[in-house]
Amino acid sequence: MANEKAHPAIEALISKYREVVEGSPLEYTADWKAKHPGVKLVGCYPLYTPVEIIHAGGMLPVAVIGGGNRLEIAHADSRFQSFVCSIVKSTLELGLTGQLKILDGIVFHSICDPARNLASVFTRNFPDLMVEYIHFPQNLTSRHAVSYLAAEYRRVKASYEKLVGRPIDNEALCQSIRVYNEQRGLLRDLYRLRSQSPQNLSTVETYILTRIGTFLPPEEHIAILKEAIAAASRRDERLKDRIKVVLEGSFCEQPPLELIEGLEAAGCYILDDDFLLGWRWFSQDVAVEGDPIQNLARAYLDRSVYSGVKHDTREPKAKHLVDKVRETGASAVVILAAKFCEPALFDYALYRRALEAEGIPHLYLEFEEKMWIFDKARTEVETFVESMLFD
Amino acid sequence: MVFVAGIDVGGKSTKVIILDDARKVRGQAVVKTRPDFPALAREALDIALKQAGLKASDLSYIATTGFGRYNVPFRDNQITEITCVARGAAFLFPKTHSVLDIGAQSTRAVRVAEDGKVRDFRTNDKCAAGAGGFVERAAKYLEVNIDDVGELSVQADKPQTISSVCAVLAESEIINHVSAGESVQNILRGVHNSLASRAMALMKRAGLEDEITFAGGVARQKGMVQALEQALKRKVNVSAEPEMIGALGAALLGLRRLEKIRHDGHEAATKEEPRVA
Repeated sequence: MANEKAHPAIEALISKYREVVEGSPLEYTADWKAKHPGVKLVGCYPLYTPVEIIHAGGMLPVAVIGGGNRLEIAHADSRFQSFVCSIVKSTLELGLTGQLKILDGIVFHSICDPARNLASVFTRNFPDLMVEYIHFPQNLTSRHAVSYLAAEYRRVKASYEKLVGRPIDNEALCQSIRVYNEQRGLLRDLYRLRSQSPQNLSTVETYILTRIGTFLPPEEHIAILKEAIAAASRRDERLKDRIKVVLEGSFCEQPPLELIEGLEAAGCYILDDDFLLGWRWFSQDVAVEGDPIQNLARAYLDRSVYSGVKHDTREPKAKHLVDKVRETGASAVVILAAKFCEPALFDYALYRRALEAEGIPHLYLEFEEKMWIFDKARTEVETFVESMLFD
Repeated sequence: MVFVAGIDVGGKSTKVIILDDARKVRGQAVVKTRPDFPALAREALDIALKQAGLKASDLSYIATTGFGRYNVPFRDNQITEITCVARGAAFLFPKTHSVLDIGAQSTRAVRVAEDGKVRDFRTNDKCAAGAGGFVERAAKYLEVNIDDVGELSVQADKPQTISSVCAVLAESEIINHVSAGESVQNILRGVHNSLASRAMALMKRAGLEDEITFAGGVARQKGMVQALEQALKRKVNVSAEPEMIGALGAALLGLRRLEKIRHDGHEAATKEEPRVA
């Protein structure tokens, strides 16, 4: 651990933000808002929010991604059926317990039925909160898809102009695109670093460094990422006898950090994952020349990462997963899907068939954000690792 | 001669198997699980060593399994109960392709390859209705000794249905059956049928292939074996001591690991650093 001692700043930084992530990012955000009076906050429900439009209006987009495993669900259970996933319930619980009062607006979009209905539930229950809903095009091959989505983004922009009380001009939008391009570029670098030398950057570290970008201003996050990437690049840890895997399925609801750590401790190096996908959802930079709204719409159609809630008929979803395994050099896949997550469960049928056809071993695990006991998951991962390591 | 030990620290009992390098069992022990796992594992190991006429220093490798596998500080390595039970079952019944292991706290369905390697597996949710603890609670409520449950269940002439998916609610159903004057035999068979139906669902999810070996303490109950065979519509292999299969698998894997280490010419090393010093 000599290397860790040589770069204490990054460990201290990760440790500090780990407490925030495990505790309450919303409390942290409330403190931030108190120090920045006048700045409006817009909550973004996963997955594909055009944060540039919010940022360009001088507001701060912050993720609303459930309540973690420390939030007691006391009220939301009476509003939703028992087969609805945890993130929907915990997000409503945050609202019903007043923890989302720091927000001036919140935005949902068409990712699944419970999420879609959550927008209506919020509209009814929180009349003072500006609830916005983006209808993404379902047919990505239509020649009208770009103009449709651009029109949808313009409608949303008009809504935020009303919230902030001033117009959001193209120059500000282009500047916001530049800022988020830089942030997402650094996140890609961080992921590349972890994929190339997973012994030097754990997945839980990668996760925390990504997660803080969901509640810090992007400019602040960029500075942290630069420092973290430089520090992690200097590490030189021994590569342990573990199997290398790609993790898939947790694009919306987020697992507890202990579960992520448990997967690694059970003998896996995770070379790629789909955690917090909504905050790193472009595989390439968004164009900055030309009409920014048009550029954002086109980027969603052509440059956004695949997920369980985007249906792109141009390329089978399972092919992306198989390609990811081949490109990273992983030897197996862990499907980590949230309990009752219909998109992830539907995808599993496709993934399973493709992985078996390609001879790629996989393990299917279910999780819930409100999860305290990890023995079962850990035993399952250990067994999976043993089945590949023991002859 | 080389000797290895497999220690299975399970939810109800801790089992030890000592093997020699001809894979012959030289000693074994079963001790009720209680707090202080290091002392418990040492006590169980000492009983098995005494039976084998060996000293602790005669052991070249100790592999642990079960939920307390990480809490045995003198182990060389720890292996999950799923991997161990698959290897143990395939050793006893070489044509095994599916293993059902019902322990006190959990149930596992494993699909295995010819050599006992795990191909796929499923474990039950954290739910008492799917494991041996459920039978124990039912026996306790019906004031029947757990060792008599298997024989009583076989005598049922009109098995009662226990439909609840939750052990607590199932207990209410048992109370209703008692109030309705149903016989203990018929109620116990209902409990076994309920467990067998859950086990079958788990096995189907893992992939069901002949031959099937039934492991774990619950496999000692004749009524449970009968219920499972009826549900699966085929015979299952049951060894004389099904609860020892996990410890046997741990010992076999320990021996295999030792042979590999000695063949490769390097010192024993754990997969990861032991978490207990």
